[in-house]
Amino acid sequence: MDFANLAAQLNAGTILPEGIVLITLIIVLVGDLIVGRSSSRWTPYVTIAGLLAAIVALYFQWNAMEPVAFLGAFNSDALSIVFRGIIALSAAVTTLITVRYVEQSGTPLAEFLVILLTATLGGMFLSGADELVMVFVSLETLSISSYLLTGYMKRDPRSNEAALKYLLIGAASSAIFLYGVSLLYGLSGGETRLSTIAANIVSSAGEPSLGAVIALVFVIAGIAFKIAAVPFHQWTPDVYEGSPTPVVAFLSVGSKAAGFALAIRLLVNAFPMISEQWHFVLTALAILSMVLGNVVALAQTSMKRMLAYSSIAQAGFVMIGLVIGTEAGYASMVFYLLVYLFMNLGGFACVILFSLRTGTDEISEYSGLYQKDPLLTLCLSICLLSLGGIPPLAGFFGKIYLFWAGWQAGAYGLVLVGLLTSVVSIYYYIRVVKMMVVKEPEEMSEAVKNYPEIRWNLPGMRPLQVGLVICLVATSLAGILSNPLFTLANSSVARTPMLQSSLVAAKRVVTAPHPANLAQQPVDVPQL
Amino acid sequence: MISTQFPWLTVLTLLPLVAALPIPLLPDKTGKTVRSYALSVGLIEFALLVYAFWQHYDLSNSGYQMAESYAWIPQIGLNWSVAVDGLSMPLVLLAGFVTTLAIFASWKVAHKPRLFYFLMLVMYSAQIGVFVAQDILLFFLMWELELVPVYLLIATWGGQRRLYAATKFILYTAAASIFILVAGLAMAFYGDTVTFDMHALALKDYSLAFEVTMYAAFLIAFAVKLPIFPLHTWLPDAHSEAPAPVSMILAGVLLKLAGYGLIRINMEMLANAHAYFAPVLAVLGAVGVVYASLTAFAQTNLKRRLAYSSIAHMGFVLIGIAAFTDIGLSGAVLQMVSHGLIAASLFFLSGVAYERTHTLAMDEMGGMGKSMPTLFALFTAGSMASLALPGMSGFVGEIAVFLGFASSDVYSTAFKVVIVLLAAVGVILSPIYLLSMLRTVFYGKENPELVAQFTLTDVKPREAFIALCLLVPIIGIGVYPKLATQTYDVKTVEVAAQVRQVLPLLAQQPLLLPQPSLVAPVLGAETQELARIGQQFNP
Repeated sequence: MDFANLAAQLNAGTILPEGIVLITLIIVLVGDLIVGRSSSRWTPYVTIAGLLAAIVALYFQWNAMEPVAFLGAFNSDALSIVFRGIIALSAAVTTLITVRYVEQSGTPLAEFLVILLTATLGGMFLSGADELVMVFVSLETLSISSYLLTGYMKRDPRSNEAALKYLLIGAASSAIFLYGVSLLYGLSGGETRLSTIAANIVSSAGEPSLGAVIALVFVIAGIAFKIAAVPFHQWTPDVYEGSPTPVVAFLSVGSKAAGFALAIRLLVNAFPMISEQWHFVLTALAILSMVLGNVVALAQTSMKRMLAYSSIAQAGFVMIGLVIGTEAGYASMVFYLLVYLFMNLGGFACVILFSLRTGTDEISEYSGLYQKDPLLTLCLSICLLSLGGIPPLAGFFGKIYLFWAGWQAGAYGLVLVGLLTSVVSIYYYIRVVKMMVVKEPEEMSEAVKNYPEIRWNLPGMRPLQVGLVICLVATSLAGILSNPLFTLANSSVARTPMLQSSLVAAKRVVTAPHPANLAQQPVDVPQL
Repeated sequence: MISTQFPWLTVLTLLPLVAALPIPLLPDKTGKTVRSYALSVGLIEFALLVYAFWQHYDLSNSGYQMAESYAWIPQIGLNWSVAVDGLSMPLVLLAGFVTTLAIFASWKVAHKPRLFYFLMLVMYSAQIGVFVAQDILLFFLMWELELVPVYLLIATWGGQRRLYAATKFILYTAAASIFILVAGLAMAFYGDTVTFDMHALALKDYSLAFEVTMYAAFLIAFAVKLPIFPLHTWLPDAHSEAPAPVSMILAGVLLKLAGYGLIRINMEMLANAHAYFAPVLAVLGAVGVVYASLTAFAQTNLKRRLAYSSIAHMGFVLIGIAAFTDIGLSGAVLQMVSHGLIAASLFFLSGVAYERTHTLAMDEMGGMGKSMPTLFALFTAGSMASLALPGMSGFVGEIAVFLGFASSDVYSTAFKVVIVLLAAVGVILSPIYLLSMLRTVFYGKENPELVAQFTLTDVKPREAFIALCLLVPIIGIGVYPKLATQTYDVKTVEVAAQVRQVLPLLAQQPLLLPQPSLVAPVLGAETQELARIGQQFNP
């Protein structure tokens, strides 16, 4: 193998966006070392510039001829490009809303950004990882940086508690995931590439072996932890409540998107032979997430806990797209994650702003905010109503597309559960809106009564304002002008060979006898 | 079908919404600029509506007119397609008229005026959007768009129990509206082609069982909104707690969204199932009339009494829809238009009374008549229209419904007698509760506290103007019903003929469904007669 051939096989150009993120990370790290604390004036902007440059680089990869790189370890197909874009964008918006928060807590900003960039890097690699070792390494990069981020407020015992909880549960789930991966490795006779694993397991036995099912369960447990699906969600409320709010914002969008990217790639690629089983498991997870997330959110008194349960429920909605596994299903996932990015980050930006000004996250403390801060009220109301799926906001179109795809695929039960639980969700989202808008001046909470004068000229406030306005505009208009986003989501699925081949396979399965019948007569099948 | 002319309907639907956006930025310290701005937007919108229909609407054409269609999200087949026909045109005008007057009626809102007028304008757009939408997803979108504004309007500017009422409203309506989405999706995906276009959906050939299921789903959604007994319980709370201008819109326009939906979707698109459900509708309508009238009599709160009278009047709409005759259907539409005007005027006048007395309990209001003779006169005129005094629009609507149902050859005589009798009982009950209301409120035992505490000034010119604006068309339609009927006659005749055509076909078919006992009158002894009539219709 000569050098040119090796270079072609490595195809290192595909990870140019990750390279840009890495260089940004080093610039921030070294710059901070050299300049000292005054670097916080420019590091956030370098970070954002780097992340945007990465997104631009991703845009130019859209038409790349050969997506597979590093001898098959990394796959830069259209789907991974979209997911990497979502993760980078969520990190950029998170950076915007972080600056003032870290500034006010008196902790160094550059380190926070470095860890955030590391997590982003992990998430981006995870979205394209096509090989077991790569999957695990990038997953751990993302996870470990997330643990660090949750514990970033060193002097706050709640942050420490959250970090410890997250670390313990996260480590356990990583271990379970790793065990599942090792089973896959063994069952397939030493294969690590996702696409070859499936072929080798199938050839070793006529029907799914118990080992494959166990591997599937363990792998799903690991993924469900990342996307916070019920019943692997227990960490979410506590971690969301205790962690610094910008971190929660990133976890709820960036980390979750990475989890979904992993879910699509791993389940579709490595488990086509037991797709019945994983569809069943995911259906159960989706229904549980939607029901439990939405119902428990009703009873929350802390804004961050409510958003935690809401994010569990939102993950349930997105899983509808994954379960039905049609082209429209995957596209609706991508579309929903795109709009979810703006509405959820917008919501968290408002929560950050409110807690910076008043120092509290209790829902009851928001009452009467309309009189004191109309802009914040408007942003939070729009984002929450969008999460609840009220037209003409972006969330409505996201949900409509998911339910449309679900109905098209015949998943009537899932769609009905989704619709019913979104009615429930309207209740708790609108409860916050009611608190802010409806309450009379005399019913104002203590926090709002002592609301400080609105000043945007404090250091770090401008980026927060910019982030807020971007999210507000995107949430309001992304639905009405959603055509480009729909096109993006659809073409990302249409241009991904892995999904296309799975769709063809799924069509074949439909014409074949039902697997349940096959299981009853295992011996006869080969003779027939 | 993209028309080359000016896109009137799109502009008219979006104008209030777009005009609402700059409201937060208007320089305004006292709230006076905002209200003038909102009123002028309302007036311009209404003037444009009248102008556009005057210029471009052909009354003799029963089909869709001024149609526009643009692909919005082609990936899921959502089109921005709007059009009006005889059914929607009068209701669009009603919505524009009542909403503009409601904005004028809210002149005194001093509390958070920006938000108030913003929400009113959003609601303006949503109502017109529902009436003109020709795509079922767009219909659902517009239907949902009006939820949150109404919720906030009730919850912020309402009475004592406003939060309870607003929450009940949004939960009922949001839960019911998912039926529209589910049924819309099911119909769109039925068969080989996926389409959300309402005409295309109407032309699809559904199996009877499917059609009946869809009909039931839409019926639940619209029954909550109309409301039909027993899904009406949110309405008395919402209407009585809402501020007067919002009550005007709620009773005047929002209830008509459901009546419109019943005719447009249930009757036109699901004509086969309508044959099975029509007797059920008639029975629900008759029961609703009697039940709501009796309940209204028991209310001591002025607006609750009016709210129950709204439910009773909507019962007539149902009976008219179930009649299978063009005169019955025409009566149903006329009853919707006339109730829109009458209910708006009554709720407005009760708001005028509330502003002066700060109570809605009728026994505490007693004796207002002496100091407020003009209010009494206007209130009496409104009540007379509501109790169907001849010469007022309420009378024409109800008599047309009665005639239409009684002359229907579809039902057995016994069934018709029972329904007409029940509805007639409702007609007799309405003067009882309305006149007793007038007596208690205006000439009841004088409440000394009230007289001492508040200055009971008579209606101001602005208030009299609004009331008269509503009363003039009420009397106009009452004296010369053709004013209203000519706008939709060709359409209702066509729809009635369409549902009648289905009957003989069904009579020939063996029943595919277990037949509920209520259905018996439809396919009783008359079926052969019907088959004969049907053959005459289609030789």
